[in-house]
Amino acid sequence: MSDHAIEHGHGVHAHAITEDHHPGAAVYLLVAVVLIVLTAMEIGVFYAPFLQAWLVPLLIILAVLKFILVAGFYMHLKYDSSVFTTLFAFPLLLAMMICGSLMLLFLYLGHHAG
Amino acid sequence: MAAQPKALHLEQANYLEGGGIYGWLTTIDHKRIAVLYGISALVLMALGGTEAMLVRAQLIVPNNHFLSADFYNQIFTMHGLTMIFLVLMPLETGFFGNFLIPLQIGARDVAFPRLNALSYWIFLLGAIALNLGWIFGGLPNGGWFGYANLTERAYAPGINIDYYDIGLLILGVSSVMSALNFFVTIVNMRAPGMTFMRMPMFIWALLVTVILILLAFPALTVGLIFLFADRYFGSHFYEVIAGATPMLWQHLFWIFGHPEVYIMALPAFGMISEVLPVFSRKPLFGYPMMAYSIILIAFLSYGVWGHHMFATGMGPVADSAFAITSMLIAIPTGVKVFSWIATVWGGRLRFTTAMLFALGFILEFTIGGLSGIMHASAPIDLEQTDSYFIVAHFHYVLFGGVLMAILAAFYYYFPKICGRFMNETVGKWHFWLTTIFFNCTFFPMHFLGEWGMPRRIYTYAPDMGWNFWNKFESISAFCLGASFLLFFANIAWSWFNGEHAGADPWDARTLEWSIPSPPPIYNFVKVPVVHSRDAFWVEKYGDVEASGLGEKRVNVEFLPPASPEEVAGIHIPAASLYPILMAGAIFLAGLGMLVGWFRLVFMGLGLLAFCAIAMSFEYREWGEDNPHQVSESFLGLDNRKLGVWSFIGSECVFFASLISTFMVYKSRSIGVPDAQILNIPLTSFSTFILLMSSLLMVLALAGFQRNNRFWGTFWLFGTAVFGLIFLGGQVYEFGSFYHEGMLYNSNLFSQCFYTLVGFHGFHVFIGVVWLITVAIAGMKGKIGSKRALSVELCGLYWHFVDIVWVVIFTLIYLMRTINRA
Repeated sequence: MSDHAIEHGHGVHAHAITEDHHPGAAVYLLVAVVLIVLTAMEIGVFYAPFLQAWLVPLLIILAVLKFILVAGFYMHLKYDSSVFTTLFAFPLLLAMMICGSLMLLFLYLGHHAG
Repeated sequence: MAAQPKALHLEQANYLEGGGIYGWLTTIDHKRIAVLYGISALVLMALGGTEAMLVRAQLIVPNNHFLSADFYNQIFTMHGLTMIFLVLMPLETGFFGNFLIPLQIGARDVAFPRLNALSYWIFLLGAIALNLGWIFGGLPNGGWFGYANLTERAYAPGINIDYYDIGLLILGVSSVMSALNFFVTIVNMRAPGMTFMRMPMFIWALLVTVILILLAFPALTVGLIFLFADRYFGSHFYEVIAGATPMLWQHLFWIFGHPEVYIMALPAFGMISEVLPVFSRKPLFGYPMMAYSIILIAFLSYGVWGHHMFATGMGPVADSAFAITSMLIAIPTGVKVFSWIATVWGGRLRFTTAMLFALGFILEFTIGGLSGIMHASAPIDLEQTDSYFIVAHFHYVLFGGVLMAILAAFYYYFPKICGRFMNETVGKWHFWLTTIFFNCTFFPMHFLGEWGMPRRIYTYAPDMGWNFWNKFESISAFCLGASFLLFFANIAWSWFNGEHAGADPWDARTLEWSIPSPPPIYNFVKVPVVHSRDAFWVEKYGDVEASGLGEKRVNVEFLPPASPEEVAGIHIPAASLYPILMAGAIFLAGLGMLVGWFRLVFMGLGLLAFCAIAMSFEYREWGEDNPHQVSESFLGLDNRKLGVWSFIGSECVFFASLISTFMVYKSRSIGVPDAQILNIPLTSFSTFILLMSSLLMVLALAGFQRNNRFWGTFWLFGTAVFGLIFLGGQVYEFGSFYHEGMLYNSNLFSQCFYTLVGFHGFHVFIGVVWLITVAIAGMKGKIGSKRALSVELCGLYWHFVDIVWVVIFTLIYLMRTINRA
């Protein structure tokens, strides 16, 4: 086995994952502009009387878009190893399941009577 | 200031030698930290066992008043808390996990050695906080799950529940830190060639366990924070009078609590999966299915919490859903039991003490599992819940299962830990006495439960028909306790006088047995390359299926002894005093909360911040990339970045628990203030500011990555300023609400709002401190390498805080008019 062993400091990595380069300032600025527009749209939706019936789905869609933009570009998930995306996505999914379950249980199933 | 890594000398090689008491207090070596965990947990096991003896002494005869009723409540509560949080978990993850993870994956240490030491000291001080009532009176007395609203100040006015609350909060911090550390270590520090499907099963079990810890503890933390707020700030998170419901606590507790069962069970599964193959001289049967079963158990464990709450009236739909998921979890568990039996089947068995305990585990755990399946059925559960049947069930799982596995691992790994065998004769006596008296103590509890004896009952009338079995159980329990005296004596005697063990005394299969016993401080002088599962066995005998009997060893020098030159070439991180100081600071803050002296809280937090910043400067390559670590890592990723992402994952569950509480309670809040008070124009402005701070953050990163220190530092300070503006807006908002009469405890809306938005603001504050620290480092020229990782890490946290605000702004502010009621 010793012939298979490696000296300290000389790694062998069959599965090494290379991180891509991050985007430049131009992309960051563009994302910022889109974020501002989306936030302005959120506020517009909030104040527009004729959109009140669609308030919840519209706000959720806009928030999800902002979330994806920040996570994808500013947190570099679009460019980095997919390991990080997994590390974020799985707990996020679980967190949403917990939120959904609790709201379902309290607002519609067993505990709504208080 | 910066602590330099130390070059080693050959005479320092044994991890147990040298350093004196100061060396142990400042150690960051995973093996020494493991030993510290082990000693602490064994002392606490003796305490928890004594508490169990007191419980049985109280129940030995009817109408007994050996203990007062209140002290009895304290004793059974402390027994549960001690055994779960201070014995089983620390022994499995703290002791065996710390010792074995680096050794089994071929690493020199864990990913974050200082964090590892910090975790231990926080654990120790958390254990002390939980037990302060022994000195000052008033131990926790609400049962280990401390059901609301009995824990509210009105019904529990003493300090008992405060010890519970603060103690568990502190212990939770320790557990999450350890979990994060082990997760990164296992994922990124495996030896070359050790793919997931070549990892020892114990490593699989711990990997999934730490994921459970990271994603389950935040729910408990939120529940405890609400309890703290109720008790100290007069809020009503669990009180019906304010429109709230005590059911919230039960949900938050069991969202943590059922995964917690597997946090204790999975490492035990892993330990057994190491012991059985070695003493059967066969590879583990069905390795891939064993690994997948662990994953499936963990996944399902998040969907079964409601089976602890069948009696609370969740309704038929919820009951059915939780019943189905609870029954499903029996399938992967059954796969594991059959795989263990198949591993032993046809093997050439060696009945060492470790093997006996492992076989005992299979039997006892299966009994506990079978009684557990019964509780997946809501109608049966309704009859058995809160009866002694439940006490029997969980003792078969946690004692007959988990503790038996721990004992097997003790006898198995003792030679590796200290270089000496435990006495086998005494060990076998220990095994038989423990097994016999364990069953005598706990099996009749099934009958007592069915005959109506309630769990936690203080005493009972003589005509209930429970007298004989209670006396029988108590006498058996005393004998069971006595059998553990043999165990403790065996450890103490064998540590100094046991027969010397070589590197591989059991002819074992995994990497840790390829190095000397006790291991050298650096673990492996050369990092091994792994070519198969059971890597050491294959190196010895050429084939994973070989029995090893009468077969010639292919390679007798798997890892040859180190030469002085090779040892001198190894550098290990220097010891640090900061972990113990930081733990002390957290303890001070906790103590301040306990006694309601908030000056002490701020002193503790201040000392904590100082130590954290000072410790960060201990790194020789502060703010720089660590290409050495990255090139050696399994995934080619930086440990620190993996660590921050893991932390962010854990934070998702934390904020999810806070947000869902707000959403659930919004429609239950009584009277004003309500969501109409929220100032949308002001908050819209704050939202723009925070979003733009994220832009500045990435511009700072881009600046440093282009080696433009001036602009990098400029944008970092800019980000911090924008963060401060956001915080200023929040302070103004909170202040105006207060002037309008919206106090923290005005109603459900106000307390949920202040807690959620306040915690987000606290995160922003931490981010600002971090930003300023990094910016100062940037000014001093400590950042400027290609990727400027320290800026990127700070940025990840900052952007996460930003996207949490995106969610809060939408759900809390813009949807303020949406109200189901």
